[in-house]
Amino acid sequence: MAKRILTAVLTAALALSLAACGGGEQQEAGITRTVYTMDTVMNLTAYGENAAAALDAAEETLCALDAKLDRHDEASTVSALNRDGTVEDAELAQLTDIARTIGELSGGAFDPTVAPVMDAWDFTGDAPRVPSDEELSALLAHVGLENLSVDGNTVTLSDGAQLDLGGIAKGHAGDAVRTVLAELGVASAVIDLGGDVGLLGAKPDGSDWRVAVKDPADPSKFLGVLTAADTFVVTSGIYERGFEENGVRYHHIIDPKTGKPAESGLVSVTVVCGDGAWADALSTACFVLGEEGSLALRDTLAAEKNLHIELIFVTDDGHVRYTAGLAKRFEPSEEGAYVYEAIIA
Amino acid sequence: MSTKPSLPELRPNRYDALVVLVVLALAAALAVRPFLAARAPQSGALTVVVSADGQELDRLPLAQFGTHTYTNNGYTLTVTAADGAVSVTESDCPGQDCVHSGAVSHAGQSIVCLPARIVVELVGVADGYDLVAG
Repeated sequence: MAKRILTAVLTAALALSLAACGGGEQQEAGITRTVYTMDTVMNLTAYGENAAAALDAAEETLCALDAKLDRHDEASTVSALNRDGTVEDAELAQLTDIARTIGELSGGAFDPTVAPVMDAWDFTGDAPRVPSDEELSALLAHVGLENLSVDGNTVTLSDGAQLDLGGIAKGHAGDAVRTVLAELGVASAVIDLGGDVGLLGAKPDGSDWRVAVKDPADPSKFLGVLTAADTFVVTSGIYERGFEENGVRYHHIIDPKTGKPAESGLVSVTVVCGDGAWADALSTACFVLGEEGSLALRDTLAAEKNLHIELIFVTDDGHVRYTAGLAKRFEPSEEGAYVYEAIIA
Repeated sequence: MSTKPSLPELRPNRYDALVVLVVLALAAALAVRPFLAARAPQSGALTVVVSADGQELDRLPLAQFGTHTYTNNGYTLTVTAADGAVSVTESDCPGQDCVHSGAVSHAGQSIVCLPARIVVELVGVADGYDLVAG
Protein backbone atom coordinates (compact mmCIF):
# COMPACT_ATOMS: atom_id res chain seq x y z
CA MET A 1 0.00 0.00 0.00
CA ALA A 2 2.85 2.40 0.87
CA LYS A 3 4.38 1.75 -2.54
CA ARG A 4 1.11 2.68 -4.24
CA ILE A 5 0.84 5.96 -2.29
CA LEU A 6 4.45 6.72 -3.23
CA THR A 7 3.61 6.00 -6.87
CA ALA A 8 0.64 8.40 -6.74
CA VAL A 9 2.79 11.16 -5.17
CA LEU A 10 5.54 10.70 -7.77
CA THR A 11 2.95 10.78 -10.57
CA ALA A 12 1.50 14.03 -9.25
CA ALA A 13 5.01 15.52 -9.02
CA LEU A 14 5.67 14.51 -12.65
CA ALA A 15 2.40 16.11 -13.76
CA LEU A 16 3.23 19.36 -11.93
CA SER A 17 6.68 19.50 -13.49
CA LEU A 18 5.07 19.02 -16.93
CA ALA A 19 2.73 21.90 -16.13
CA ALA A 20 5.76 24.09 -15.33
CA CYS A 21 7.29 23.14 -18.70
CA GLY A 22 4.07 24.18 -20.42
CA GLY A 23 4.39 27.66 -18.90
CA GLY A 24 7.88 27.99 -20.34
CA GLU A 25 6.49 27.83 -23.85
CA GLN A 26 4.79 31.18 -23.37
CA GLN A 27 6.48 34.47 -24.32
CA GLU A 28 9.31 35.20 -21.92
CA ALA A 29 8.41 38.17 -19.72
CA GLY A 30 10.65 41.21 -20.09
CA ILE A 31 11.58 43.79 -17.49
CA THR A 32 10.33 47.32 -18.19
CA ARG A 33 11.95 50.49 -16.89
CA THR A 34 10.20 53.89 -17.17
CA VAL A 35 12.47 56.93 -17.43
CA TYR A 36 11.35 60.58 -17.57
CA THR A 37 14.01 62.29 -19.60
CA MET A 38 14.58 64.37 -22.73
CA ASP A 39 11.18 65.97 -22.27
CA THR A 40 9.35 62.67 -22.74
CA VAL A 41 8.54 59.36 -21.08
CA MET A 42 10.72 56.46 -22.17
CA ASN A 43 9.93 52.79 -21.56
CA LEU A 44 12.78 50.33 -21.93
CA THR A 45 11.87 46.63 -22.00
CA ALA A 46 14.69 44.10 -21.99
CA TYR A 47 14.62 40.30 -22.05
CA GLY A 48 17.02 37.73 -20.68
CA GLU A 49 18.84 37.08 -17.45
CA ASN A 50 21.02 40.22 -17.68
CA ALA A 51 18.07 42.53 -18.30
CA ALA A 52 17.90 44.23 -14.90
CA ALA A 53 21.59 45.16 -14.72
CA ALA A 54 21.60 46.25 -18.36
CA LEU A 55 18.58 48.50 -17.78
CA ASP A 56 20.36 50.15 -14.85
CA ALA A 57 23.24 50.99 -17.17
CA ALA A 58 20.87 52.16 -19.91
CA GLU A 59 19.10 54.51 -17.52
CA GLU A 60 22.44 55.99 -16.47
CA THR A 61 23.31 56.48 -20.14
CA LEU A 62 20.04 58.31 -20.78
CA CYS A 63 20.50 60.61 -17.81
CA ALA A 64 24.08 61.39 -18.83
CA LEU A 65 23.00 62.21 -22.38
CA ASP A 66 20.17 64.42 -21.17
CA ALA A 67 22.60 66.28 -18.90
CA LYS A 68 24.90 66.86 -21.87
CA LEU A 69 22.39 67.69 -24.61
CA ASP A 70 19.55 69.56 -22.85
CA ARG A 71 19.88 73.16 -23.96
CA HIS A 72 17.47 74.26 -21.19
CA ASP A 73 19.89 72.96 -18.55
CA GLU A 74 22.47 75.66 -17.87
CA ALA A 75 25.02 73.05 -16.85
CA SER A 76 24.78 71.09 -20.12
CA THR A 77 27.48 71.01 -22.79
CA VAL A 78 25.03 72.38 -25.36
CA SER A 79 24.24 75.32 -23.06
CA ALA A 80 27.95 76.00 -22.74
CA LEU A 81 28.20 76.03 -26.54
CA ASN A 82 25.22 78.37 -26.90
CA ARG A 83 26.69 80.67 -24.24
CA ASP A 84 30.35 80.65 -25.28
CA GLY A 85 30.03 80.05 -29.03
CA THR A 86 32.43 77.10 -29.03
CA VAL A 87 32.93 73.88 -27.11
CA GLU A 88 35.09 70.77 -27.37
CA ASP A 89 33.35 67.43 -26.85
CA ALA A 90 33.81 64.36 -29.04
CA GLU A 91 30.28 62.97 -28.70
CA LEU A 92 28.62 66.35 -29.19
CA ALA A 93 30.80 67.04 -32.22
CA GLN A 94 29.93 63.68 -33.77
CA LEU A 95 26.19 64.13 -33.22
CA THR A 96 26.25 67.75 -34.42
CA ASP A 97 28.08 66.63 -37.54
CA ILE A 98 25.31 64.10 -38.29
CA ALA A 99 22.68 66.80 -37.68
CA ARG A 100 24.49 69.19 -39.97
CA THR A 101 24.89 66.51 -42.66
CA ILE A 102 21.16 65.66 -42.58
CA GLY A 103 20.45 69.39 -42.73
CA GLU A 104 22.56 69.76 -45.86
CA LEU A 105 21.21 66.61 -47.56
CA SER A 106 17.62 67.75 -46.89
CA GLY A 107 18.23 71.26 -48.22
CA GLY A 108 17.69 72.77 -44.77
CA ALA A 109 14.40 70.97 -44.04
CA PHE A 110 16.13 69.79 -40.85
CA ASP A 111 18.06 72.54 -39.11
CA PRO A 112 19.53 72.21 -35.60
CA THR A 113 19.94 76.01 -35.35
CA VAL A 114 16.20 76.67 -35.37
CA ALA A 115 16.15 76.93 -31.56
CA PRO A 116 15.32 80.68 -31.28
CA VAL A 117 12.25 80.17 -33.44
CA MET A 118 11.13 77.19 -31.35
CA ASP A 119 11.59 79.31 -28.23
CA ALA A 120 9.32 81.99 -29.66
CA TRP A 121 6.54 79.45 -30.24
CA ASP A 122 7.22 77.87 -26.81
CA PHE A 123 5.42 74.64 -27.70
CA THR A 124 6.52 72.85 -24.54
CA GLY A 125 6.15 75.78 -22.16
CA ASP A 126 3.31 77.09 -20.07
CA ALA A 127 2.41 79.87 -22.50
CA PRO A 128 2.71 78.77 -26.15
CA ARG A 129 1.89 81.57 -28.61
CA VAL A 130 1.94 82.53 -32.29
CA PRO A 131 4.89 84.89 -32.96
CA SER A 132 4.37 87.82 -35.33
CA ASP A 133 5.85 87.72 -38.84
CA GLU A 134 8.26 90.53 -37.88
CA GLU A 135 9.47 88.60 -34.85
CA LEU A 136 9.96 85.43 -36.90
CA SER A 137 11.81 87.32 -39.61
CA ALA A 138 14.24 88.78 -37.05
CA LEU A 139 14.83 85.36 -35.48
CA LEU A 140 15.31 83.56 -38.81
CA ALA A 141 18.23 85.88 -39.54
CA HIS A 142 20.24 83.82 -37.02
CA VAL A 143 19.04 80.43 -38.29
CA GLY A 144 21.07 78.53 -40.86
CA LEU A 145 23.53 75.66 -41.24
CA GLU A 146 26.20 78.13 -42.36
CA ASN A 147 26.30 79.34 -38.73
CA LEU A 148 27.32 75.90 -37.44
CA SER A 149 30.69 74.25 -37.95
CA VAL A 150 32.36 71.10 -36.69
CA ASP A 151 36.12 70.71 -36.74
CA GLY A 152 37.38 67.52 -35.12
CA ASN A 153 35.92 67.50 -31.61
CA THR A 154 35.17 71.24 -31.65
CA VAL A 155 31.73 72.68 -32.39
CA THR A 156 31.47 76.38 -33.18
CA LEU A 157 28.47 78.68 -33.62
CA SER A 158 28.53 82.07 -35.36
CA ASP A 159 26.21 85.02 -36.01
CA GLY A 160 24.27 84.53 -32.77
CA ALA A 161 23.08 81.04 -33.74
CA GLN A 162 21.93 78.59 -31.06
CA LEU A 163 22.18 74.79 -31.23
CA ASP A 164 19.14 72.64 -30.46
CA LEU A 165 19.61 68.89 -30.88
CA GLY A 166 16.04 68.11 -29.80
CA GLY A 167 15.29 66.76 -33.27
CA ILE A 168 18.01 64.13 -33.14
CA ALA A 169 18.90 63.61 -29.46
CA LYS A 170 16.22 61.01 -28.70
CA GLY A 171 17.27 58.89 -31.66
CA HIS A 172 20.91 59.18 -30.60
CA ALA A 173 19.84 58.14 -27.10
CA GLY A 174 18.14 55.12 -28.65
CA ASP A 175 21.38 54.18 -30.40
CA ALA A 176 23.31 54.56 -27.15
CA VAL A 177 20.81 52.49 -25.15
CA ARG A 178 20.80 49.77 -27.79
CA THR A 179 24.60 49.62 -27.67
CA VAL A 180 24.70 49.47 -23.85
CA LEU A 181 22.06 46.75 -23.66
CA ALA A 182 23.81 44.65 -26.31
CA GLU A 183 27.21 45.06 -24.63
CA LEU A 184 25.72 43.81 -21.36
CA GLY A 185 24.36 40.64 -22.91
CA VAL A 186 20.80 41.61 -23.84
CA ALA A 187 19.85 40.20 -27.24
CA SER A 188 16.24 41.30 -27.31
CA ALA A 189 14.77 44.65 -26.24
CA VAL A 190 12.24 47.36 -27.07
CA ILE A 191 13.43 50.93 -26.56
CA ASP A 192 10.33 53.15 -26.56
CA LEU A 193 11.48 56.76 -26.72
CA GLY A 194 8.08 58.34 -26.16
CA GLY A 195 6.45 56.73 -29.18
CA ASP A 196 9.55 56.43 -31.34
CA VAL A 197 10.77 52.88 -31.06
CA GLY A 198 14.15 51.18 -31.24
CA LEU A 199 14.29 47.40 -31.54
CA LEU A 200 17.29 45.43 -30.36
CA GLY A 201 17.36 42.11 -32.16
CA ALA A 202 14.22 40.05 -32.67
CA LYS A 203 11.70 38.82 -30.11
CA PRO A 204 13.00 36.34 -27.53
CA ASP A 205 11.40 33.50 -29.53
CA GLY A 206 13.41 34.57 -32.60
CA SER A 207 10.49 35.95 -34.61
CA ASP A 208 10.26 39.59 -35.76
CA TRP A 209 8.47 42.21 -33.68
CA ARG A 210 5.01 43.25 -34.80
CA VAL A 211 4.80 47.02 -34.42
CA ALA A 212 1.36 48.67 -34.54
CA VAL A 213 1.71 52.17 -36.05
CA LYS A 214 -0.71 54.81 -34.73
CA ASP A 215 -3.26 56.47 -36.97
CA PRO A 216 -2.40 60.21 -36.82
CA ALA A 217 -6.05 61.17 -37.32
CA ASP A 218 -7.14 59.02 -34.40
CA PRO A 219 -4.23 57.79 -32.27
CA SER A 220 -6.56 55.30 -30.61
CA LYS A 221 -6.52 53.40 -33.92
CA PHE A 222 -3.72 51.89 -35.97
CA LEU A 223 -2.59 52.55 -39.55
CA GLY A 224 -1.32 49.03 -39.76
CA VAL A 225 1.21 46.61 -38.37
CA LEU A 226 4.86 46.64 -39.36
CA THR A 227 7.00 43.53 -39.04
CA ALA A 228 10.55 44.50 -38.07
CA ALA A 229 13.66 43.59 -36.09
CA ASP A 230 16.86 45.38 -35.08
CA THR A 231 15.81 48.78 -36.41
CA PHE A 232 14.17 52.08 -35.48
CA VAL A 233 10.62 53.16 -36.25
CA VAL A 234 10.25 56.93 -35.83
CA THR A 235 7.18 59.02 -36.64
CA SER A 236 6.74 62.78 -36.97
CA GLY A 237 3.14 63.86 -36.99
CA ILE A 238 0.99 66.86 -36.30
CA TYR A 239 -0.90 65.11 -33.50
CA GLU A 240 2.08 64.94 -31.18
CA ARG A 241 2.34 68.44 -29.78
CA GLY A 242 0.73 71.76 -30.43
CA PHE A 243 -1.71 74.32 -29.11
CA GLU A 244 -4.80 76.24 -30.13
CA GLU A 245 -5.09 80.00 -30.52
CA ASN A 246 -8.20 81.77 -31.82
CA GLY A 247 -9.63 78.44 -32.91
CA VAL A 248 -6.60 77.43 -34.98
CA ARG A 249 -4.40 74.48 -33.95
CA TYR A 250 -0.67 74.96 -34.48
CA HIS A 251 1.49 71.83 -34.61
CA HIS A 252 5.10 71.74 -33.49
CA ILE A 253 7.03 70.72 -36.63
CA ILE A 254 8.54 74.00 -37.81
CA ASP A 255 9.75 74.61 -41.36
CA PRO A 256 13.15 76.29 -40.79
CA LYS A 257 12.66 78.41 -43.91
CA THR A 258 9.39 80.04 -42.80
CA GLY A 259 9.61 79.68 -39.04
CA LYS A 260 6.02 78.40 -39.08
CA PRO A 261 4.44 74.94 -38.78
CA ALA A 262 5.28 72.97 -41.93
CA GLU A 263 2.56 72.59 -44.52
CA SER A 264 3.71 69.81 -46.84
CA GLY A 265 0.53 67.88 -47.44
CA LEU A 266 1.46 65.31 -44.80
CA VAL A 267 -0.28 64.47 -41.57
CA SER A 268 2.53 62.15 -40.51
CA VAL A 269 5.55 60.32 -41.82
CA THR A 270 7.12 57.20 -40.34
CA VAL A 271 10.78 56.42 -40.99
CA VAL A 272 12.17 52.88 -40.69
CA CYS A 273 15.96 53.05 -40.43
CA GLY A 274 18.67 51.02 -38.76
CA ASP A 275 20.22 54.09 -37.09
CA GLY A 276 18.29 55.94 -34.40
CA ALA A 277 19.84 59.39 -34.78
CA TRP A 278 19.34 59.38 -38.53
CA ALA A 279 15.78 58.02 -38.19
CA ASP A 280 14.90 60.76 -35.70
CA ALA A 281 16.24 63.69 -37.72
CA LEU A 282 15.01 62.26 -41.03
CA SER A 283 11.44 62.00 -39.72
CA THR A 284 11.42 65.77 -39.17
CA ALA A 285 13.15 66.46 -42.50
CA CYS A 286 10.71 64.23 -44.40
CA PHE A 287 7.69 65.82 -42.75
CA VAL A 288 8.88 69.27 -43.81
CA LEU A 289 9.84 68.10 -47.32
CA GLY A 290 6.59 66.27 -48.06
CA GLU A 291 6.25 63.06 -50.04
CA GLU A 292 8.07 63.96 -53.25
CA GLY A 293 11.00 65.63 -51.51
CA SER A 294 11.30 62.74 -49.05
CA LEU A 295 11.51 60.16 -51.83
CA ALA A 296 14.26 62.21 -53.48
CA LEU A 297 16.09 62.41 -50.14
CA ARG A 298 15.69 58.63 -49.76
CA ASP A 299 17.42 58.13 -53.12
CA THR A 300 20.20 60.55 -52.13
CA LEU A 301 20.80 58.72 -48.84
CA ALA A 302 21.06 55.38 -50.64
CA ALA A 303 23.42 56.77 -53.28
CA GLU A 304 25.67 58.98 -51.16
CA LYS A 305 25.56 57.40 -47.69
CA ASN A 306 24.62 53.79 -48.47
CA LEU A 307 21.81 54.35 -45.96
CA HIS A 308 18.55 52.62 -46.82
CA ILE A 309 15.34 53.86 -45.28
CA GLU A 310 11.69 52.97 -45.73
CA LEU A 311 8.84 55.46 -45.35
CA ILE A 312 5.12 55.47 -44.57
CA PHE A 313 3.34 58.70 -45.53
CA VAL A 314 -0.12 59.72 -44.35
CA THR A 315 -1.36 62.54 -46.55
CA ASP A 316 -3.94 65.18 -45.72
CA ASP A 317 -6.19 63.83 -48.49
CA GLY A 318 -6.62 60.45 -46.81
CA HIS A 319 -3.94 58.32 -48.45
CA VAL A 320 -1.36 56.04 -46.84
CA ARG A 321 1.58 55.46 -49.16
CA TYR A 322 4.57 53.32 -48.24
CA THR A 323 7.82 52.57 -49.99
CA ALA A 324 8.27 49.29 -51.85
CA GLY A 325 10.61 47.84 -49.22
CA LEU A 326 7.66 47.64 -46.83
CA ALA A 327 5.31 45.91 -49.28
CA LYS A 328 5.74 42.58 -47.54
CA ARG A 329 6.31 43.98 -44.05
CA PHE A 330 3.42 46.42 -43.61
CA GLU A 331 -0.11 45.11 -43.13
CA PRO A 332 -2.70 47.88 -43.58
CA SER A 333 -5.29 48.08 -40.85
CA GLU A 334 -8.96 47.59 -41.50
CA GLU A 335 -9.77 50.18 -38.82
CA GLY A 336 -8.91 53.38 -40.69
CA ALA A 337 -10.66 54.99 -43.64
CA TYR A 338 -7.53 55.40 -45.79
CA VAL A 339 -6.61 54.44 -49.32
CA TYR A 340 -3.44 52.33 -49.08
CA GLU A 341 -0.84 52.29 -51.87
CA ALA A 342 2.66 50.87 -52.14
CA ILE A 343 5.04 53.30 -53.85
CA ILE A 344 6.96 51.60 -56.65
CA ALA A 345 10.09 53.70 -57.03
CA MET B 1 14.08 -20.09 -19.77
CA SER B 2 11.06 -20.26 -17.54
CA THR B 3 8.25 -17.80 -16.83
CA LYS B 4 7.01 -17.22 -13.34
CA PRO B 5 3.34 -16.49 -12.65
CA SER B 6 2.63 -12.84 -11.64
CA LEU B 7 2.81 -12.20 -7.94
CA PRO B 8 -0.53 -11.06 -6.46
CA GLU B 9 0.88 -7.59 -5.36
CA LEU B 10 2.04 -6.81 -8.95
CA ARG B 11 -1.33 -7.41 -10.57
CA PRO B 12 -3.35 -4.23 -11.40
CA ASN B 13 -6.03 -3.49 -8.86
CA ARG B 14 -8.41 -0.58 -8.14
CA TYR B 15 -5.62 1.63 -6.69
CA ASP B 16 -3.70 1.33 -9.95
CA ALA B 17 -6.84 2.33 -11.84
CA LEU B 18 -7.12 5.39 -9.57
CA VAL B 19 -3.52 6.43 -10.36
CA VAL B 20 -4.19 6.02 -14.10
CA LEU B 21 -7.31 8.17 -13.80
CA VAL B 22 -5.44 10.91 -11.92
CA VAL B 23 -2.69 10.96 -14.58
CA LEU B 24 -5.23 11.07 -17.42
CA ALA B 25 -7.21 13.87 -15.74
CA LEU B 26 -4.05 15.99 -15.22
CA ALA B 27 -2.92 15.38 -18.81
CA ALA B 28 -6.33 16.41 -20.16
CA ALA B 29 -6.38 19.58 -18.04
CA LEU B 30 -2.87 20.57 -19.22
CA ALA B 31 -3.80 19.94 -22.86
CA VAL B 32 -6.99 21.99 -22.73
CA ARG B 33 -5.66 24.94 -20.68
CA PRO B 34 -3.86 26.81 -23.52
CA PHE B 35 -6.93 26.59 -25.77
CA LEU B 36 -9.17 27.96 -23.03
CA ALA B 37 -6.73 30.83 -22.41
CA ALA B 38 -6.53 31.67 -26.12
CA ARG B 39 -10.30 31.77 -26.43
CA ALA B 40 -10.78 34.04 -23.43
CA PRO B 41 -12.35 37.38 -24.45
CA GLN B 42 -9.76 40.19 -24.61
CA SER B 43 -12.02 43.03 -23.57
CA GLY B 44 -12.11 41.64 -20.08
CA ALA B 45 -8.31 41.61 -19.95
CA LEU B 46 -7.78 45.36 -20.48
CA THR B 47 -6.66 47.24 -17.39
CA VAL B 48 -6.18 50.99 -16.94
CA VAL B 49 -2.90 51.84 -15.21
CA VAL B 50 -2.35 55.46 -14.16
CA SER B 51 1.12 56.58 -13.07
CA ALA B 52 2.58 59.90 -11.96
CA ASP B 53 6.35 60.45 -11.97
CA GLY B 54 6.72 56.73 -12.61
CA GLN B 55 4.76 55.78 -9.49
CA GLU B 56 1.61 53.72 -10.05
CA LEU B 57 -1.48 55.48 -8.68
CA ASP B 58 -4.28 53.25 -9.92
CA ARG B 59 -4.70 49.87 -11.61
CA LEU B 60 -8.32 49.11 -12.40
CA PRO B 61 -10.20 47.02 -14.96
CA LEU B 62 -11.30 49.23 -17.88
CA ALA B 63 -14.94 48.25 -17.43
CA GLN B 64 -14.90 49.37 -13.80
CA PHE B 65 -12.75 52.49 -14.13
CA GLY B 66 -15.44 55.18 -14.48
CA THR B 67 -14.03 58.67 -13.89
CA HIS B 68 -11.02 59.62 -11.77
CA THR B 69 -9.20 62.89 -11.13
CA TYR B 70 -5.44 63.07 -10.63
CA THR B 71 -3.27 66.02 -9.61
CA ASN B 72 0.50 66.03 -10.05
CA ASN B 73 3.19 68.63 -10.69
CA GLY B 74 0.64 71.42 -10.32
CA TYR B 75 -1.84 70.17 -12.95
CA THR B 76 -5.11 68.27 -12.64
CA LEU B 77 -6.40 65.70 -15.14
CA THR B 78 -9.80 64.03 -15.37
CA VAL B 79 -9.56 60.51 -16.80
CA THR B 80 -12.73 58.83 -18.03
CA ALA B 81 -13.45 55.33 -19.31
CA ALA B 82 -16.46 54.79 -21.55
CA ASP B 83 -17.48 52.48 -24.39
CA GLY B 84 -14.40 50.28 -24.07
CA ALA B 85 -11.91 53.15 -24.21
CA VAL B 86 -10.20 55.56 -21.84
CA SER B 87 -9.37 59.24 -22.39
CA VAL B 88 -8.24 62.40 -20.64
CA THR B 89 -11.44 64.40 -20.78
CA GLU B 90 -10.21 67.50 -18.94
CA SER B 91 -6.85 68.99 -18.08
CA ASP B 92 -5.60 72.38 -16.99
CA CYS B 93 -2.19 71.80 -18.61
CA PRO B 94 -1.14 74.46 -21.18
CA GLY B 95 -0.80 72.38 -24.36
CA GLN B 96 -3.84 70.13 -23.89
CA ASP B 97 -1.93 67.42 -25.81
CA CYS B 98 -3.31 64.78 -23.46
CA VAL B 99 -6.89 65.83 -24.20
CA HIS B 100 -6.19 66.01 -27.94
CA SER B 101 -4.77 62.47 -27.80
CA GLY B 102 -8.37 61.21 -27.81
CA ALA B 103 -9.48 57.86 -26.44
CA VAL B 104 -7.33 54.73 -26.46
CA SER B 105 -8.87 51.29 -26.60
CA HIS B 106 -6.06 48.83 -27.42
CA ALA B 107 -3.53 47.11 -25.17
CA GLY B 108 -0.18 48.91 -25.21
CA GLN B 109 -1.65 52.33 -26.00
CA SER B 110 -1.08 55.20 -23.62
CA ILE B 111 -1.84 58.87 -23.11
CA VAL B 112 0.95 61.05 -21.73
CA CYS B 113 0.60 64.45 -20.08
CA LEU B 114 4.15 65.73 -19.87
CA PRO B 115 3.42 68.90 -17.85
CA ALA B 116 1.63 66.81 -15.21
CA ARG B 117 4.04 63.87 -15.67
CA ILE B 118 1.03 61.54 -15.70
CA VAL B 119 0.74 58.45 -17.92
CA VAL B 120 -2.55 56.64 -18.57
CA GLU B 121 -1.86 53.21 -20.07
CA LEU B 122 -3.99 50.31 -21.23
CA VAL B 123 -2.49 46.97 -20.23
CA GLY B 124 -3.67 43.62 -21.52
CA VAL B 125 -3.32 41.02 -24.23
CA ALA B 126 -2.49 42.66 -27.58
CA ASP B 127 -4.27 41.26 -30.61
CA GLY B 128 -1.81 40.71 -33.46
CA TYR B 129 0.97 43.09 -32.39
CA ASP B 130 3.71 43.32 -29.77
CA LEU B 131 4.07 47.08 -29.30
CA VAL B 132 2.74 50.43 -30.42
CA ALA B 133 4.75 53.12 -32.23
CA GLY B 134 3.96 56.64 -33.33
